[in-house]
Amino acid sequence: MRFNEKELVSLSRQPSEMAAEMGMRGPKKGDVLKKRLVKLVVNFLFYFRTDEEEPIGALLLEQCRVQKEDNQSFSIAYMDEAERKYLFECGSEEQCQKWIDSIVKASYEFMRKNLIYYRTEIHRLTGKDPLEQYGISEETRFQVTNGMQFMPRDTSSL
Amino acid sequence: MKIDEKIVSYFESCDSPVDKEGYLYKKGEIKTSYQKRWCVLKGNLLFYKERPSDRDLIGVIVLEGCTVQLCESEEQFAFSLVWSDPGLRTYKFAAEDETSQESWIKALLSANHNYLALLVTDMENKYKGEIKTLCVFICVGEKEDALFWRAAVRCIASLFAAAYQIPSLAVVTGTTGIRSPKLRHKGNANVLPISAPALPVGERSGICLGKEEFSKLHEDFGKEVKELIAEWSKQRRGGAAAQEENLIDFG
Repeated sequence: MRFNEKELVSLSRQPSEMAAEMGMRGPKKGDVLKKRLVKLVVNFLFYFRTDEEEPIGALLLEQCRVQKEDNQSFSIAYMDEAERKYLFECGSEEQCQKWIDSIVKASYEFMRKNLIYYRTEIHRLTGKDPLEQYGISEETRFQVTNGMQFMPRDTSSL
Repeated sequence: MKIDEKIVSYFESCDSPVDKEGYLYKKGEIKTSYQKRWCVLKGNLLFYKERPSDRDLIGVIVLEGCTVQLCESEEQFAFSLVWSDPGLRTYKFAAEDETSQESWIKALLSANHNYLALLVTDMENKYKGEIKTLCVFICVGEKEDALFWRAAVRCIASLFAAAYQIPSLAVVTGTTGIRSPKLRHKGNANVLPISAPALPVGERSGICLGKEEFSKLHEDFGKEVKELIAEWSKQRRGGAAAQEENLIDFG
């Protein structure tokens, strides 16, 4: 699968509040805990070997479950697969919780849900659609349809 | 740099919202001819494959750090995704008609993470602005009733907090420092909204709502309170039929 690697690497260089060294263990059996510089930029988690410019890899933080594990660790799991659970060991419980919160809030889908929630609530409280002033109330992105948008998929007739 | 492909593929195929999808002509990365691709925009990711029904993706473009521009091209209805930093590339696309071109450009322009983040922050502030002012519901009543009303008001308070998802909602009850108004017997207590400057404003000590809001919630939670009243009255009068109290009429 192709992806815009150079541009993604460039993204990883953006300054970020959430960047720290921690222990990281990959999802596969036999993967061991390694010291990595972990950095959160938009909805991606980049991980570097300490002092290296280019990240080893990037994790997309969508459709994942972030959970606290024992001690000062948290995990990011995808598709309920044991083979897709990444483990991170932080320096303190406080740091651990901060990372969990930041990762959850970084998800595009999480942000979208919040936007829709606030839009609905503000409309309910004030009678006005707050997105109207920006002229974006009709954008597909912000529509409320039972919490999920329905788009015809696999329309091979097109 | 590695990217976990399975995770990315899964995100494309799962039922999370699709912001836009359709056919676009994409200029090849190896061959320079334009090839028809089925494109799916979800959040800040643009996926592309040969056909909508294909399981395998040909590729994905992370839409961070780029601008969307109209571009000069042999193809009609062309536009491009441009990363301006040296060494970074430009993706060229062509739509099938002007409407499609406009629609895709619009969708891609607002696909980045920061745009959504700013909007959410703005909305969050607006929302919090609507739920402002502090007001404390203080119950004043006869000694025996005070306990009951404390319980009832705590119940209302927690329902308020749950409904509005407002953290740290506490309700002060009791008669400390407030002059009791004239009370009637028989379990009629007065519930008065009183602003309480004595309370530390830093902690959210309660919520105040507009008239309409309060009336609605008053009715909604009234049911719960009615049940509580009936139950307590029954207990106090030793099982005799409880007279159903009317909700306080706020006019």
